[in-house]
Amino acid sequence: MDLIEVSGLTKRYGGIVALEQASFSARAGEVHALIGENGAGKSTFIQILAGAVAHDGGDVLFDGAHYNPANPDDAETTGVTAVFQELSLIPDLTVEENIWFRREPRRWWGAADRRELRRKTLDLFEKYEFPPIQADRDVRRLTLAEQQIVEIAKGLAKSTRVLILDEATSALPAKETEWLLKLTRKLAEEGLLVIFISHRMGEVRSIADRMTIFRNGSTVATHVTDEVSDDEIVAQMIGRQMDRLYPERRDTTTGRIALKVSNLECGSRLRGVGFELREGEVLGVGGLQGHGHRELFQSLFGASRSTGEVELWGRTTRFNTPSQALSGREGIALVPEDRGGQGLLNSMSVRENLTLSVQRRMTWCGLVDSKREAALVREMVDLLSIKVDTPEQEAGTLSGGNQQKVVFGKMLLTEARVLLLYDPTRGVDVGTKSEIFQLMRDLAAQGYAILFHSSDMPELVHVCDRVMVLRAGHVAALLDRSAISEEAILRAAVLEKDT
Amino acid sequence: MSTSLRNYLLDKAPFLTACAMLVAILATYASLQRGVFSIDELNLVTGSAMTLILVATGQTIVILRGGIDLSVGGMVSLGTVIAATQFGTDPVNIVLWSSAILLLGFLIGAANGVMINYLQLQPFLVTLATWSVLSGVAMIILPTDGGSVPDWWIGFGYSEFLGLAGPVWMMIALIGFWFWFKSTRLGTTIRATGSSEKSAFLSGVSIMRVDIAAYGLSGFFAAAGALYLTTQTGGGSPIIGKDYILPSVAAAVIGGVSLFGGRGGLMGTVVGAFILILIGSLVFALRISSHWQPVLSGLILLVAVLTSSLTEKTAKGQAQ
Repeated sequence: MDLIEVSGLTKRYGGIVALEQASFSARAGEVHALIGENGAGKSTFIQILAGAVAHDGGDVLFDGAHYNPANPDDAETTGVTAVFQELSLIPDLTVEENIWFRREPRRWWGAADRRELRRKTLDLFEKYEFPPIQADRDVRRLTLAEQQIVEIAKGLAKSTRVLILDEATSALPAKETEWLLKLTRKLAEEGLLVIFISHRMGEVRSIADRMTIFRNGSTVATHVTDEVSDDEIVAQMIGRQMDRLYPERRDTTTGRIALKVSNLECGSRLRGVGFELREGEVLGVGGLQGHGHRELFQSLFGASRSTGEVELWGRTTRFNTPSQALSGREGIALVPEDRGGQGLLNSMSVRENLTLSVQRRMTWCGLVDSKREAALVREMVDLLSIKVDTPEQEAGTLSGGNQQKVVFGKMLLTEARVLLLYDPTRGVDVGTKSEIFQLMRDLAAQGYAILFHSSDMPELVHVCDRVMVLRAGHVAALLDRSAISEEAILRAAVLEKDT
Repeated sequence: MSTSLRNYLLDKAPFLTACAMLVAILATYASLQRGVFSIDELNLVTGSAMTLILVATGQTIVILRGGIDLSVGGMVSLGTVIAATQFGTDPVNIVLWSSAILLLGFLIGAANGVMINYLQLQPFLVTLATWSVLSGVAMIILPTDGGSVPDWWIGFGYSEFLGLAGPVWMMIALIGFWFWFKSTRLGTTIRATGSSEKSAFLSGVSIMRVDIAAYGLSGFFAAAGALYLTTQTGGGSPIIGKDYILPSVAAAVIGGVSLFGGRGGLMGTVVGAFILILIGSLVFALRISSHWQPVLSGLILLVAVLTSSLTEKTAKGQAQ
C-alpha cells in the first residue's frame, strides 16, 4: 500500500489558486522526485505535507489514515519532515544546537546536556558520513553550502518516515551534491520515503525511482524514471514542446579586450588570477566551490578588497566600492549569488528595484523624472518579459524566475557593458533558465562581455565561448570552445596536474 | 593563531572589549583613589549598581528576543511608589506587597508581550505607551517623592554575610540564574527567536509564548529593581524610573548584547552596568564637572558598538 495518497488537493491564497486538484501517491522506500517550473505548485504541495500551510480542499491519506497537520510540529510527530529551500536555521545558535533545536537532551534541572548534545551530533555525522563541519560553530559563520548541510542534518535528526528535500542540492558544490544523492538513495533503501525536488534533470535521473510532474498548480503525470525521456518530461512541464534549453551559440567575440586581469589576489581564497575577457564573449568560470570564484567576482565588482591589476576597455581601473563599479558604460555590473539577500529588496516595488542603481539616469537636480523612470522600467519589463501585474508590485511576491529577471533588468539599466553573472540560474525554473541563456547570447552579440559562473556544469558547457577553471585560487585551465566538456572542467577542477 | 582560537576571540570580542574597558576604568580609578580593590568598595559599588543590573537583566532578555522595553522606567517608578505607600511596618504585609509588585511587573510585561505579538505592533511604541501609562499611575498614587519603608528594609544594602553585602550575593545569584536560564528551553527559544523569528517559527516555536515570557520577565526584573531601589532611597518616587530606561539598554549594548537580537548574555550586561556606574565614581575622583559623565558614557557606548560591528565584518570577510 502507498504511504502517502493525495487526491483533489487544493489551496488558494485569496483569489490566486496555488494548487488545484493535485493528486499524488508514493510508497515507503522510494525516492520520488517532484519536478516543474517555479510557481507550478510544488512548494505549496510540500508545505501542505509538512504542515506549514493548511489545504482548502481534497484529501491526504498517510498510512491509510486522514492526515491534516496543524503545524510543522504535528507533521513531524506523524513522521513527515521537510528540509525547505529557505533555510530554517537560527544564525546565532551553534550547529549542534540547531540540529537538535527544541529537542535538546536536558538534565533534570532544565539546562541542556552539552556532552550528550555533542555525542548525538557526532554520531549523526558519522552514521551518514557528513562532510566535515565543526559542531560548535555559530551557524551564521558558515557558508551557504555548509548551512544547507546542517539543515539536512536537522531533518535527519528527526528520524522520520518521510523526508522532503526542497532543492537541497542547489546550494551544494559538486562533491557534497554527490554525497547527498548517495545519502538519499541509502535512506530510501532503509525504508524512508524521500520526496526530492530539484531543477537539475541529471540528479533526478540518477536517484529517483519515480517522478511526478507539476504544471500550473496541478499534477500532470507520474512516471517511472527509466520509462520516460527528457523530451517528454520537458514537454509536460511546460505544456508545449520546448525548442531547446540552450540557445544557438554563434561566435560573436571581437578582438577588443573588455577586461584584462592580472595577479588578482583577495584574501586566502583568490591567489593570483589573470585572464582576458573579450567584447562579445561569454567566459565561463568553473571549478569546485570555495576555490576563489566568489572572491573573483566580488573583487572585480569592488565589494571585496583585493590587489592586482585590472584593465577595463584598455584603461587601468580600480573599483573600491560597487558604487564606483556601477558608474556607467565604463563600469561593471553584477548579478549576485544570493538573489533574496544581495540582489533584490523584497519589500520594495519592481520599479524601485529596477531603478535603484541608476538614479543618476533619471534625476534632474535631485528630482526624479518619473516619465523617464517609467520609460526605463517599461523597457526592461518588456525586454525581459517580466511577469508583473504592475511595476508597483512588491518584488518579493514574484516567482523566483521573475525575481531574477528583475535583478537582470537592474543590472542592464546601469549600461555597464562588462557583466558579472554569479550563478544566475540558481533556483530558477527551466523556462526562465532558457530565457536567461538566450539573453546572455543576445547581449554578447550586442558587444557585451560576460563573465559567467555556474554551479551547474552543463550550463558552462553549453553557453560559454571559453571556460576558465579555478582551483585553489589559481587558473587551473582555460578551455577553448572545442575543448569544453564536463569531463575537462572536472578534470581541471580536481586534478593536481594542469591539463 | 589557531583558527578555533581566532574564531573564539572574534565571537567574544564585544564582551572582551567591555571587560578591557572595565579594567581600564578600574585602573584609572585605583590610581586616583585608595582602596578601590577592596571588599568594602565591591560592596559599595555593587550596592549602587544593583538597581541598574536588575532592570538591565530584564532588558537583556527582551533585547535578546530582538525587542526593546521602555516601560521598565514606568515599572520602576510604579514599584517604588506602591512599596512606599503600602508597605507599613508589618513584615507579613511587606512580603505580600513585595510579591504583589513582582507579580504586577510580570503581568504588565506580559501584557506588553501580548500587544506586541497579537496586534503586531512595534515594541518601541507599545512600551513607550505603557511607560507613559505607568508613570502617570505612579504620579496619581504618589505625586511627589515620599512615602517610607521600614528601617530594617533599608538595612538590606548594608547586611553582610561572609563579608559580602546583600547586593553582592544578589548579583551572584543573578549570574547563577543566568547560566541556568540561558540553556533552558525557554532561554534557548528566546535567543533563537531574536536571532531569526522566521526560522524559529518554522522550527515550531510559539512566538506568542516567547514574547509573553520575554517581556513578562523584563517587567518582573524591573519590579525587582524597584523593590531594591526602595532599600537605597528609603521611599518612593514617581519619576525616578526614567533614569533606568536608556542606561539599561546601554549596559546591555556596552556588554556586547546585539540590538538585532540573539547575541550576547547577562555577563556582558553586568560588566556594562559596572562600567556605567564606575564612570560616575571616576568623574568624581578626577574632580571634574559631573557633566563629563554622560560624555564618557557616550564614548564608551560608541567603542562598544564599533567593536561588535568590526568583529562582524572581520568574521564575514573570513567566512567568504
